[in-house]
Amino acid sequence: MTAGHKVKITYCADCGYEPQTLDLAKALMLEFGARLSGIELIPWEGGTFEVSVDGELIHSMARNGGFGESAAIKDAVRARLAT
Amino acid sequence: MTIDRARFDTGLTYEAYKAQMTRNRDRLDENERRVDLSKEDLAAFRALPRPVNVLVLAEDWCGDVVANLPVLGRLANDSGKLEVRIFLRDQNDDIMQRYLNKGQFKSIPVFVFFDVDFRELGHWIERPAAVTEVRAKRRKQIFAAHPEFGSPDAPVDQLAEDVRVRLQGELAKMRDETAKFANAEVVRELREIATRVAA
Repeated sequence: MTAGHKVKITYCADCGYEPQTLDLAKALMLEFGARLSGIELIPWEGGTFEVSVDGELIHSMARNGGFGESAAIKDAVRARLAT
Repeated sequence: MTIDRARFDTGLTYEAYKAQMTRNRDRLDENERRVDLSKEDLAAFRALPRPVNVLVLAEDWCGDVVANLPVLGRLANDSGKLEVRIFLRDQNDDIMQRYLNKGQFKSIPVFVFFDVDFRELGHWIERPAAVTEVRAKRRKQIFAAHPEFGSPDAPVDQLAEDVRVRLQGELAKMRDETAKFANAEVVRELREIATRVAA
């Protein structure tokens, strides 16, 4: 087991992004279980939807558009866990 | 998709909308109390030759709805000339598709003004451009004054939690300080649309 990898999801709480945030958090929990040391949900503003692993931004609505495909985000997390 | 009297009347009144809110009701009520309408603006709405129908798209989780819908609510209540009906965005996608922001974004609130025969007078989306501009400028000033907040373009999750909370506080304070200006801009823009109604 690889410990110490943390995912953070920053979402705009003024934009109704809670369902997408919870869906992604659930997908990551089910996929990676205890291989993640934590999943932090950060309510923010300004249309933000960002996902990072160990401080590395792997998806940003501003940069990449949209909420991102769950499969692509899981691939990025998996790649990070392999390092 | 046509908006006519029959469809319009299926919307919620402002009071009914408030009664069905499941979140942010306290913030909306507080914002409504803080709306300060000038005598001149109120007189302009009261002088409308005919009532104006205003269709609204809204959701209770949206910050711009919580900030700006109370301005319309107060104008309607205090002037007696605006008939407001509110539709929930996520249950009325046919209306939303007609009023997309920049042709692609489902930004709310949307206020659509119709005369008594349901000819559209104009519509208004999200917030005034001047408010976005002023707040962006103030946001830059906050970051410039607080190096600990880092770059305004950096992901916020890189900040330590206590720093993030302080930044959140500064941004909330800035929004509060610019609320009076923002409300005045909303009134100015809505007045410009409503007064297009023919005598």
